[in-house]
Amino acid sequence: MERLRGLGGPYKLMDGREFKDGVKAALPIVLGYLPVGMAFGVLARNAGLTTWEAGSMSLLVYAGASQFIAVEMISKGMVWFPIVLTAFLINLRHLLMSSTLSLYFNGNRIQTLGLLSAQLTDESFAVAMSNTSKIENRPGYLFGLQITSHFAWIMGSVGGALFGGLIDHKSYGIPFALPALFICLLIIQVRKVHHFYIMLVAGIFSLFFKWALPGNWYIILTALLASGIGILINSKVQSSKAKVQNSP
Amino acid sequence: MRPEILILILGMALVTFLPRFLPMALLSRWVIPEKAKKGLEYFPISILSAIVFPILFFNGEGRMEVQPHYLLSAIPVFIFAWKVRSLWGSVILGMVIYWGLGFVL
Repeated sequence: MERLRGLGGPYKLMDGREFKDGVKAALPIVLGYLPVGMAFGVLARNAGLTTWEAGSMSLLVYAGASQFIAVEMISKGMVWFPIVLTAFLINLRHLLMSSTLSLYFNGNRIQTLGLLSAQLTDESFAVAMSNTSKIENRPGYLFGLQITSHFAWIMGSVGGALFGGLIDHKSYGIPFALPALFICLLIIQVRKVHHFYIMLVAGIFSLFFKWALPGNWYIILTALLASGIGILINSKVQSSKAKVQNSP
Repeated sequence: MRPEILILILGMALVTFLPRFLPMALLSRWVIPEKAKKGLEYFPISILSAIVFPILFFNGEGRMEVQPHYLLSAIPVFIFAWKVRSLWGSVILGMVIYWGLGFVL
């Protein structure tokens, strides 16, 4: 009964230990988000946004790539509609991540799901997926992970907008912080031999689609095609295992 | 805040929130068939590959072109991540190597 009364229905949102675990898991993301957020703050100020506007965008939109493209389009004098449409297209890839996460939060309350999904990013999704046993019906963990990352993003943006010139965001290896994070998160997903092949197939697809198509379609197309091939490879592996087991 | 910027931010917030929210809200209410679950299993690795590989082979303007600075920093991080599986370590190592290569390249 105690658990039922918690915020978030049968699963408490605010389990202190899970929340703390999530906060700790976010630290590598914080390391990447602070400087990249600062870069956003600087560019936003250069494009004519106030510190308040840049901070509000990081608070309410919280989507790195589309925020950078938005300030780029603002500085070119574009009005809001094409910018919003671009943000929509860029963030369609979250459909896939949100679908994947839904498997781990079956039956949670809609408010809990709303809160968790509002702060979904590529980085927090990838960290969550690096150890799925920690997120299964543990909204507190994911919430701690995501709100810490979001906080770092807002702090970075506001800091960059206020003190932009102080740190050169192209120096100290800062441009490689998030790529290095993604490389490690990718490697963590490679747990079996056939995962390695899926990684290579997806890598080749992504290069081809990015080369051949405009915008960010390459991520969605790659994910759909490479997962399809993954299912084929997996069923091959399963059936060859079955054959080995059946042979004398 | 200027009204046109407020509209812009709210518009972006809405179109960013919906793709994040709708699948989670709808799918967590349904019973997902095992076949579909198998498909979702490979989304993380495919999405991450599609994020990582283009970083190494496309320049900032989106033109295909080997990025030696990124590629040379990435290889040790791949190996380190494989052996040690530490997010912190990978980020720090990657930044240090990238920074160091900046003096050489």
